Amino acid sequence: MALKIIGKFTGKSSLLSAPLAALLAGSALSLAAGPAFAEGKTLDVAIIGEADTFDPMMSTKDVVSIVTQHFVETLYTFDGGWNIAPLLATGLPEISDDGLTYKIGIREGVTFHDGSSMDAKDVVASLDRWLKVATRGKGVADKVASVEATGDYEVTITMKEPYSPLLSLLAFSNSAAAVYPEEIIADTIETVVGTGPYKIAEHMPDQHLQLVRFEDYASRDEASDGAAGKREQLADEIRFIPVPDPNTRVEGLLSGQFDFADGLPAESYKRLEENETADPLLLKPFGWPIFAVNHKDGLLTDKNIRLAVQAALPIDDMLFAAFGDDNFFITDGPLYPEGWAWRTEAGAELFNQNDQTRAGELLKEAGYDGTPLRILTSRQYEFHFKMAEVAKMALESAGFKVQMDVVDWATLGQRRDDPAVWDIYITHSPFLPEPALTSLYDKSSRLGWSNPEKDKILDAFTSETDIAKRKELFAELQKQVFEDVGFIKIGAFNALQGTRKGLEGVPASPWPFFWNAQVQ
Amino acid sequence: MARYILKRILGMFIVIFLVLTIAFLIVRLAPGDPAALMLGPEATPEETAALRTELGLDRPIVVQYFTFVVNAAQGDLGTSLFFRQPVTQVLAARAEPTIFLALFSLVFALVIATPIGIYAAYRRGSFLDQSAISTAMLAASIPSFWTGLMFQRYLATDLGLFPASGYGGPDASFIERMGYLILPSIVLGIVNSALILRFTRASMLDILGEDYIRTARSKGMGEPRVVLRHALKNAAIPIITVIGLTFALLVSGAVVTERVFNIPGMGNLVVSAVLRRDYPVIQGALIVVASLYVLINLVTDLLYLTVDKRVRY
Repeated sequence: MALKIIGKFTGKSSLLSAPLAALLAGSALSLAAGPAFAEGKTLDVAIIGEADTFDPMMSTKDVVSIVTQHFVETLYTFDGGWNIAPLLATGLPEISDDGLTYKIGIREGVTFHDGSSMDAKDVVASLDRWLKVATRGKGVADKVASVEATGDYEVTITMKEPYSPLLSLLAFSNSAAAVYPEEIIADTIETVVGTGPYKIAEHMPDQHLQLVRFEDYASRDEASDGAAGKREQLADEIRFIPVPDPNTRVEGLLSGQFDFADGLPAESYKRLEENETADPLLLKPFGWPIFAVNHKDGLLTDKNIRLAVQAALPIDDMLFAAFGDDNFFITDGPLYPEGWAWRTEAGAELFNQNDQTRAGELLKEAGYDGTPLRILTSRQYEFHFKMAEVAKMALESAGFKVQMDVVDWATLGQRRDDPAVWDIYITHSPFLPEPALTSLYDKSSRLGWSNPEKDKILDAFTSETDIAKRKELFAELQKQVFEDVGFIKIGAFNALQGTRKGLEGVPASPWPFFWNAQVQ
Repeated sequence: MARYILKRILGMFIVIFLVLTIAFLIVRLAPGDPAALMLGPEATPEETAALRTELGLDRPIVVQYFTFVVNAAQGDLGTSLFFRQPVTQVLAARAEPTIFLALFSLVFALVIATPIGIYAAYRRGSFLDQSAISTAMLAASIPSFWTGLMFQRYLATDLGLFPASGYGGPDASFIERMGYLILPSIVLGIVNSALILRFTRASMLDILGEDYIRTARSKGMGEPRVVLRHALKNAAIPIITVIGLTFALLVSGAVVTERVFNIPGMGNLVVSAVLRRDYPVIQGALIVVASLYVLINLVTDLLYLTVDKRVRY
């Protein structure tokens, strides 16, 4: 009996368990009933921490998206190629020729977890709330004239001006335009009720979030493709387990406790490759480190000094110091990786110059007076700090005086809102399916990047609806990023996740989902 | 006696009040904004400011302090900014793993350290004594996070003898949850056994050199009786003191072990609360820990009465 229980803890029984089993036989432990980790139809997913909220409208954190997409749904989503696909909508919207009216059909027969049926009124109430409270919704609210129910199962969004990223915003699971029953709509939603394939059964803070299959779920019929199409609910339960320590996530995965673990350290790649329990899952590339530049105040309001920073940075060395393994970074300048629709080489010749002499000349032209360049960074993400260390050396060699302000993430989050106390802060982002989903280009962001030419290009980019023209405009925008140094992309990096051997149906994604997942 | 206890309880309230004030000030003097953390990286400064207002963080610090003190006096430690639950509820949910982890590791440490400490003192200078001292030094010198990582990797992951982390799933029974505490208890117990062993040995050495021990032996009393009934009883006061303090330390300070093994206890909660700048939880946890220290000290002092009849308050 005791041997069986130990086997349940670890997902395996070994001969070496026997002595301990013998020791425990007859003890209280041997009386235990019921498995701690059910096998087969329960997926245990180790995530990097507790989700702050189960209302995805209210947060732009990835961990919130990862968890909530299982029980809350949006009108649209993304397929495997990051194209927009319908989810609660019947199909893609009918968009008027002037790009001002979006007529969206709503699926019939969709049930909320509270048993009520979804209709256009629920969608309108939810979108109104999204425009009022969500970061991404508020960003577009001034362009929206109205959201109306134009039938029991039809919603019409009327814009004041064309805004092409709208559908991407409606599809994104981050600061999501989630659909809730009209009855629960309020500024703060205490108990989230969605339409997703799983519903919340139990939440023990810092222990687990237990999701169980929603029996009345109305899945789409199309073949699964990314987050689009059929959602099969193969597992009976999904348990999200917050495990803040990366090493603990690795050991839990390797010992068979977890079926999936997110955010694993690069050093664990070899162990994952060589063991018999788990497999590494490399997201290649996952995202990009960013030197966010302060255009509002301080040293970098001078374009020549910004160009000097860009010229001095040895991106290769910074990435190597940060990730230490060629498997985990790519020294790549364009803002989108190979294979993405937005990929363009425009302006990328200014990437990775590693030319401190040129940087010194630019500093002279700018009349640099030795004012310290303040780099705000944190060791919460060790790769941010390591990059900053290498950058500091290169910048000093170009003639900069550099002040490193190394603080914890909470402090960084506070200080970056005060433009008087930093020149560069370091952050990172996954590659987003639509460029306008990041606020970096926006003059109202905390970077405050603005010049007449860039602002004109950005306005044209966000109002243009023709895809080919949008790509051309994005090339111009990317050129501006390099030529005016709106912000500095430090290459690209890969992320490591891990799965139990035999786990199928989990696509590599910054926001992994498990409704089509099962252990073979 | 009753007067003594009353006096101590009064002193306890003063200590808790001071801790409460210091905790309030320290967490607010530290930079960092819980609102910015909660909203995520794309939130605008305006949204962050609005959430600060909603959470009451923009009120004058004096107002926040008095509200906190008045509520705390009524047993209300506030609401967690992160969990949106009463702090007392958040802390109560973490009590079970922490208390049992502390208890198990203390039992483990006592079972290992007390007999060895007694025997090492009895056979002072022997091979066993020297080995015990060296091993204790080694155990005390190795940081518990390292021991934890090694045990986790080799005993849990590679050999599969223990669960690698956590505290059981939603359907785990009490016994199963306790099973998750075995390995972390051993890790914590090893470190603390070193301390208890050294105290036991030192204390026993003092007593074994006393005249009354020599008298007992000269009267022909058997060695087990001399050592266990006469020496150990008199050596017990410093040992009880260190056990009491160790227990308090374990309840409040199993931070690293709880983190490594992902045990949802008080230590793990405090680390997360600091990283999230969840002020009410940090304050609440500090108050609970301070109260516990004072309470354990009081219990320890009262235990002296039963161990040594000469002690009077």
